[in-house]
Amino acid sequence: MTLPATEIGSHGPAEPELAPVENREVTGRSPLRIAFERLRRDPVAVVSFLIVLVFVLIAVFAGTIAKFFGVTTDTVSASSVLEFPSMLPKTGPPNHGFDSNHPFGIAPQSGEDNLATWLFGARTSLLIAAIATFAATFIGVVLGLIAGYAGGVWDRVISFVTDLFLTIPFLLAALAMAPIIADRFGTDPDRYAEVQFYGVIFILTAFGWMTMARLIRGEVLSIREREFVQAARVIGVPTRKILFREILPNLVAPIVVAVSLGLPAYVAAEAGLSYLGIGVTGRPSWGQTIDAATKWFNIYPLYLWQPVIGIVLLVVALNLLGDAIRDALDPKTRR
Amino acid sequence: MRRSKAMAAVVGVGMFALAACGGGGGDDDDPGVQDTFKEGGAAGSGKDPEAQGPAPEIEGAQEGGTITMLHPDPDAGPDSLDPTSGWSVTDNGILQNLVFRSLTTYRMDQETGEMVLVPDLATDLGQPNEDFTEWKFEIKDGIKWETGDPVTADDIAFGIKRSMDTKDLEGPGAQYSKEFFLGGDKYEGPYVSGEDFEGVQVDGNTITIKMAKPFPEMDYWGAFMAMGPVPSGPAGSPPQYGLKPLATGPYKVESFRPNSELVLVRNDQWDPATDAARHQYVDKWVMKFDQDPAASDELVMSGNEESKTTIVTQLQGSNYQTATQDMGDRVMVGSQACTSFWYPKYDKIKELEVRQALAFAYPYEDAWSAAGEIPGVTRTMGTNILPPGMAGREEYQPVEGEEIGRNPEKAKELLEAAGYGPGDYEIAWAYDASTPEGKAAMEQIKLGLEEAGFKTKPYPYSAGSLYDVWTDPDNPIYKKINVAGVAWCSDWPSGATFIPALFQSDQLYNTGGFSEASIDERIKAVTSMPLEDQPGEWNAIDQEIMTNYFPVVNTGYLNNLFAYGENIGNFTNDSAQGYPNLRDMYVVQ
Repeated sequence: MTLPATEIGSHGPAEPELAPVENREVTGRSPLRIAFERLRRDPVAVVSFLIVLVFVLIAVFAGTIAKFFGVTTDTVSASSVLEFPSMLPKTGPPNHGFDSNHPFGIAPQSGEDNLATWLFGARTSLLIAAIATFAATFIGVVLGLIAGYAGGVWDRVISFVTDLFLTIPFLLAALAMAPIIADRFGTDPDRYAEVQFYGVIFILTAFGWMTMARLIRGEVLSIREREFVQAARVIGVPTRKILFREILPNLVAPIVVAVSLGLPAYVAAEAGLSYLGIGVTGRPSWGQTIDAATKWFNIYPLYLWQPVIGIVLLVVALNLLGDAIRDALDPKTRR
Repeated sequence: MRRSKAMAAVVGVGMFALAACGGGGGDDDDPGVQDTFKEGGAAGSGKDPEAQGPAPEIEGAQEGGTITMLHPDPDAGPDSLDPTSGWSVTDNGILQNLVFRSLTTYRMDQETGEMVLVPDLATDLGQPNEDFTEWKFEIKDGIKWETGDPVTADDIAFGIKRSMDTKDLEGPGAQYSKEFFLGGDKYEGPYVSGEDFEGVQVDGNTITIKMAKPFPEMDYWGAFMAMGPVPSGPAGSPPQYGLKPLATGPYKVESFRPNSELVLVRNDQWDPATDAARHQYVDKWVMKFDQDPAASDELVMSGNEESKTTIVTQLQGSNYQTATQDMGDRVMVGSQACTSFWYPKYDKIKELEVRQALAFAYPYEDAWSAAGEIPGVTRTMGTNILPPGMAGREEYQPVEGEEIGRNPEKAKELLEAAGYGPGDYEIAWAYDASTPEGKAAMEQIKLGLEEAGFKTKPYPYSAGSLYDVWTDPDNPIYKKINVAGVAWCSDWPSGATFIPALFQSDQLYNTGGFSEASIDERIKAVTSMPLEDQPGEWNAIDQEIMTNYFPVVNTGYLNNLFAYGENIGNFTNDSAQGYPNLRDMYVVQ
């Protein structure tokens, strides 16, 4: 069968035009540097980065900021700041005007200061998300590298374990495991909060590394067959060196992208766990505030808006930043 | 006591109270609250053996209509309708009042709002012999099953024998029938031990119950649906009978999904002339369980067509302000006849002064509020062990010269009298760490105790009910705490259902391990006293325990917060059961 001549003609790549030769000085720039330049020129990326930076500063300096506003997370006697039987604050919203001693108001029922809770909640969110992301990335990269490069039995075992973990429903596992961890290791009340905190990180990590492992394994499989790796093997470069010097640098882009998109997912997941009552309770967190505030939304909407806005802003900013990083590192998907 | 599901419903809620908190100083001067309490009336200390059917007409009552009752989570309702196993507030509140008849029952005195014990299946409240070791109940004629067949004395005796079965049917019988009936320790119910039982004998229309020891409160126990008829043979065998039981009361089961929904419709075989307590005004009842609390509140507050005939059995504290503004009188506080306690371990906290100091250190209102209970509304302050409405109860002050309540200075004084400076004495207790409320309440208690000169060590527990910690010596936290807790509800308005279980030596729910030989003896002696002296004696024991030993901190009486639609007529609280009084309710057309 033959095709019409016109069709045949359209199939070939267009003859590239010869670029006019310029006498410009050629500077060597690494791919990451190029990507960074692109990022800097992307307004969305800059704005999201600034927002994330603000949240990071809030998380790091939560104590100082709280002191500046004169608020603390210390327990105050509920009856001293709340009216009964409504259990609503004596000063500030929703029944009274703005109270400069408590800029974000006071929580009903417990009488805690909302601003202090919010500030330290940001710290909890970011800390858990950051540690979990780092741990999951580390595990995922290591296993992905081994599976992809070693192949054979290693690959089959690791791939099986990865698939196994992917089949376990995250929420169900978290619901079952959180109390077990807390009660198995938390019999000493002084360490309970700590155990709970690391328990949440453990759960997030244990069910978060699989996508990274799969991604890295796939990348390694293709890089392994590339000429420079083949050449290194032929000339007898040790495996360790091949992995760290030849393959890993080529994985930086996908890792950075996965991390930047994983971080907001962990922030949301942590809040979700707290909301379900299986997250941290030893320290303030946004998820806990949301859980407590939903039933007050009718008469005290501000109480719920604070943590919700915090989470939405942070997650959206992190996601947009992640998108921008991916676009910058991988020009093929550029919008 | 009401255990099992009652513990889930009442104590599930009470749990927070315990984990959390105590009795609050008091909005006792709040007129609204006070009035509704009066409306709630006493918990049934009166008796009327002469009461005859039909029950007095309710003024303005109308026939027809459907009432929907929403029971918010954690009230999961009945998983079985078997009359023998019913022991929770919700199960009893629905089934005893609408579906099953028993030897005796309660009727609301429409003038005073008091619950009065009246005959139901029996012609009177029973004829005891002199020392209460034998009771005779004569059964009325004309009682029918929903099928139209007559209910015989044999059917009722079979039901009573069934309450002895603790293998197939877990219920209150284990506490009362097994304990008091002659041969109860050996007899395991008709399915296991056969129908021949020396404790329950039928002669024509008369049922004779013989006791192993004096049981002067058999008439109250007769008000449980376990003391009513069950068809013998395969028709009534558990567990199938629990899904489709035969009604004897004014309503029968149309459909039932365990822990989810129960629909009741008129039973045309019920004869009002034989029933001194119940009415049949409403056409249909739709009971929904385990509902989303927020959604239930929204519905009843919305004022739409559906909400007009809807009742919510527990309004959330966060909606109290809005609901009272929008609905006014249609938000009602009802006494549950329950008390929650902080129970210091008697062998660890030995000094009377320290136990008293705890009662002055405990931040009642703060802890209630943090736990989500409305101070002065769903929790009220008190000093008596017995909750309001119990027979013979009289207020007293257990600590001379000082009213019990939050008073850090007094606590410090008492600690000093016991030889402890500020920060010397450590209080260790377990709290529910699985909810933010549990933790918030713990922080309020911690702060309160520290302000009053105690050192604190709260132990978090999130693996289940706090009763695991309080009652199980193998629990790792059990040995570390020096304050346990318990929440208790009365089965009928007598100290007999309250004080022995909590303050006799070696009882399961005596979580603080209180043990005094003189009190044990005094408790044992009550049942052999003349009937009319017993209520006063229970109150005297209550007072003696608290005044001389102060073994518990009363962390508040539990109250329900009902809300109902505008077309519900004659909504009242049945304080004997801690549930809306469904017998006299109607729909305004």
